Amino acid sequence: MKDDSENFSVFNSRALIDVVGNVTDEALKATKIKQLIGVLGGRFFNWAQRKSLFPLHLGIKCCALEMAAAGAPRFDAERFGVFFRSSPRQCDVLLVNGPISKKFADPIVRLWEQMPEPKWCIAMGECAISGGPYFQSYNILEGVDTIIPVDVYIPGCPPRPEALIDGFGKLREKIIRIGAPPVKESETDAPIIIGED
Amino acid sequence: MAEMWITMGPQHPMTHGLWTLRVKVDGETVVDTVPELGYIHRGVEKICEARNFTQITPYCDRLCYASAMTWAQSYIYAAEDMLGAEVPERAEYIRLIAVEMQRIASHLMWLGAYCPDVGNLTVFVWCLRDRELFLDLLQELGGSRMHYNFPRVGGVKRDLPIGFAVRARAKIEMFLKRLHEYEMLLDESTIFLVRTQGVGACKAEDMINAGVTGPNVRAAGVNYDVRWAHPYSVYDQVDGVASVEKASSNEGSDCYDRYRVRMTEMIESCNMIISALDSIPGGDETHYNKKDEMIYIKPPIRAPAGQNGFHHFEDSRGESTFYLAGGGGKKGRGEFPYRMSIRSPMFITIPYVAKTMIGYKVADIPAIMGSFDPCIGETDR
Amino acid sequence: MQIISSEQNLSAVKVAVEETNKRFEEAGITAESCQHRSGRKYSFVHINCPPNHWVSLAKWLRFEQGVDYLSMITGIHFPLEFEFFSGQPGYNPGTPEKGWEVIVHLTRKGIKNPKVGEQTIINPTKLTGMDIPLEYQISLVLPQTDEPIIPSVQSIWDGADWNEKETWDLLGIEFEGHKNMMRVLNPHDSPPGFHPLQKQHKIRYHNHNEMYDDAQGFMRKPLDSDKKK
Repeated sequence: MKDDSENFSVFNSRALIDVVGNVTDEALKATKIKQLIGVLGGRFFNWAQRKSLFPLHLGIKCCALEMAAAGAPRFDAERFGVFFRSSPRQCDVLLVNGPISKKFADPIVRLWEQMPEPKWCIAMGECAISGGPYFQSYNILEGVDTIIPVDVYIPGCPPRPEALIDGFGKLREKIIRIGAPPVKESETDAPIIIGED
Repeated sequence: MAEMWITMGPQHPMTHGLWTLRVKVDGETVVDTVPELGYIHRGVEKICEARNFTQITPYCDRLCYASAMTWAQSYIYAAEDMLGAEVPERAEYIRLIAVEMQRIASHLMWLGAYCPDVGNLTVFVWCLRDRELFLDLLQELGGSRMHYNFPRVGGVKRDLPIGFAVRARAKIEMFLKRLHEYEMLLDESTIFLVRTQGVGACKAEDMINAGVTGPNVRAAGVNYDVRWAHPYSVYDQVDGVASVEKASSNEGSDCYDRYRVRMTEMIESCNMIISALDSIPGGDETHYNKKDEMIYIKPPIRAPAGQNGFHHFEDSRGESTFYLAGGGGKKGRGEFPYRMSIRSPMFITIPYVAKTMIGYKVADIPAIMGSFDPCIGETDR
Repeated sequence: MQIISSEQNLSAVKVAVEETNKRFEEAGITAESCQHRSGRKYSFVHINCPPNHWVSLAKWLRFEQGVDYLSMITGIHFPLEFEFFSGQPGYNPGTPEKGWEVIVHLTRKGIKNPKVGEQTIINPTKLTGMDIPLEYQISLVLPQTDEPIIPSVQSIWDGADWNEKETWDLLGIEFEGHKNMMRVLNPHDSPPGFHPLQKQHKIRYHNHNEMYDDAQGFMRKPLDSDKKK
């Protein structure tokens, strides 16, 4: 952020933080300490991310009731670390559980953009995968993957709560394999591959 | 004072479905509301013009997903009216048992979603646990936990499984004791009473004029139930009454009355199921094969143009109506309805609820909205 | 549960049909008693009404016959020619006199509004006369036109409000005198004049072979796609 009073950048705290941050980052990259921390800490961060996936409290249609039943005492997704949050800014996973209509395409893309990185998307149920029984409708998009990149597809109409919990398990396996998606600023960094855990 | 519009947007944990309520607040008081629906408008009415009558039943299950069996039945009665189909008596008893079980499951889902809104998270966990009892029974009948595709034009798909009656009676007995526990918890909880009594007053004549039906209008003292007013099925041969609550004040009925109506309705539905199992023709221990005459009579599959049918049905949320206009006698054309029109009780109730909220505080919005039991799947069709 | 018996129903229907015919004979409004074809085969009142007399019929029903509840407003489009599946012979659902039809379902609830602190515990078998619940089906037929217009009953029944908005949104039938008409189910930025339930709009993959034409770019066709069926 460029200030008019550039001469006084030392006293402007935001500019100071930027400068110090850039200098430290370059220094760590040059001495390969950053890569070392990435490899050592990456396994830990990856474990933390996949063991505590927080989905968004979004119920579109029927699969939302199976999502609620998955949180109910009989199937109990919370013992796997899956805890529903109401605000997209606090979530990792966008669980799309219904057909996306033209009116809702814009809000769901906005919800996706409000979620901070790293984030994943699970398409639950036939309607989110391909339009489902409403593939012939004038108002329904053919699958949520036309507007949002999807990581795991859970088929079923509706999928049983056990299938949803298994879908989260598949997402965990995917997170082990590919690590976290790279942060946008440093596109030269390859994702950190951890391997079998 | 500063007035501003707040959007309780499509993604909101307390709206019970995907709709927007834009609220104009003046400080903490609600001054104006504008509801916005249509986020899951699927065009079911248009799609079903290219499906034959058996293929439409799964679409009607998915209209209101919290109460799928009642919507499939509602469509089936209208289709039978149009085609002129006969239904055997045992099939009517089985349909009644399935519908009343679905009504109990739907009200439990409502209670489980409503109580967290007013601050009581324990009941969410209890209600979903007890709903699983009835979903297991319905799974034995229909094959799936939520979308059963169970009734057919002319009867039902399959008979009661062996041992169903024994399990149903045991589960209902257990459930009635647990329902008493829930009532004890909620009726003696000061927080619940303060948040629901005196909130959301609705007068009976306003509700009838606006088209609200079902438990919402029975909470105001109006004893109107489609099951006795425009009778269908075998409700005259089972014990049970429509549950009605007196309106509590001059302003009308409040959220507490609507809660009490649904609790009483669950007990009445249990009575109806037990008495239907007692008096089902053929006995509750026998199991007839598929396509046996006792449970299914093959209906005509075509309706000539100009032959229409409609049926009013008592759904868990009000009166749902299907109107089917016949196709044409030619092969391949008469098998599809020319027009299928669906009347959803919640489509009419939600604008009415939005008007009711004016004058209350922002914190009362989830309590009022939840007490009317919205289900957006049927609203948006 | 005690229910309305078929004798009560028949008597109420007969009285309603007679009164409607007596009152509106010269206006071209005819009422008849129709019967449901299945179940208990109860009767209901079916009225054919020319659209320009709809408001006066509605006012009479609401205020003098006690029909206080509007259930549903349905619109149907009957074009002169309609091709269902491409390749199959079309047929003519509409005639020059019947291009659009609006069907209104009403119910007479027959319940008096209760006082506070009271509950209407009534025995349905003891209801008589105007207290018996009754179903009405009213059919308004419009000729072939590109701009169907019907007078609105928004001021008579509150329940007609959103029903009429939905009928306009999906079908394009205008309601004259309706305040604040807006799109309720389709998105607000739908092109004006887009009313999906009109018969010239076909559903996606209307001709089912289109489904295999690569909707999502998977380059897959079924193995027998060039076999003559």
